[in-house]
Amino acid sequence: MTEPVPPRDRKRKWIWWAVGVLAMVFGLMQLFPATETNPEVLGDLAAPPAVAKILRRSCYDCHSNETRWRWYSRIAPISWVIASHVNAARQQLNFSEWATYYPQTRVRKLEWMGRALQTEQMPPTAYLLFHPDARLSPDERAELERWIAASLNQPGS
Amino acid sequence: MRTRNLSLLVALCAIVTCPILAQADSTPITIRFHDHRWEPLSLTVPAGQPLTIRVLNDSQETIEFESFKLNREQAMTPGQTIQVRLPALSPGSYDFYDDFHQDVPQGSIIAK
Repeated sequence: MTEPVPPRDRKRKWIWWAVGVLAMVFGLMQLFPATETNPEVLGDLAAPPAVAKILRRSCYDCHSNETRWRWYSRIAPISWVIASHVNAARQQLNFSEWATYYPQTRVRKLEWMGRALQTEQMPPTAYLLFHPDARLSPDERAELERWIAASLNQPGS
Repeated sequence: MRTRNLSLLVALCAIVTCPILAQADSTPITIRFHDHRWEPLSLTVPAGQPLTIRVLNDSQETIEFESFKLNREQAMTPGQTIQVRLPALSPGSYDFYDDFHQDVPQGSIIAK
């Protein structure tokens, strides 16, 4: 006759099962890596050095083909989310393709950039949590806004 | 009895007029994307009243309906339809375009 398993042991057994299943799922996820690519830079934005420096630090990780892929961006499922965000961001605005944009497209992108800065939508809060160095100071925002205004007043920006 | 009849009359009026009032805001104007262009390319809408625009991506490519002036942007997969609700517009021209394809001619919504 078998002895009944004490409830505490049964609970522990279930926890180990759950941990095992989760570990297996996590391991399987790694078999499907996200495609983290940095395509060729087709025509980088030509901005004044001070502006370029700010953009590179705060925007280029998502809005260029020069993404600095961090170690955690290679671990699924985070890698899937990051790769998807970067692809979407590049589709919206890609500084590495700036020179290939039609003049009208550049104007639109500059306008949206200005709005995103004014409404403080960019850089996104979630990104700043992991990249506090990307935070824009009021002076840097002002610098970018001045550059945007000047570019919009200049034909062929 | 008179109060009851009056209440019934008010309720009946509400039932009849509500859809009419709702329609004033939601008469859908459709913009269709196909063959790499918007159709119609230009449309006139009444100024000063809210409106809803139905945008249909009737193509095989993913597009983005975007308008800076209207402050709207929405990516659309092939076959997708979206409803763009707009507040009362001031008279003027509001351009819209496909942000994913630069060569697509931009369209305009003219509020009069």
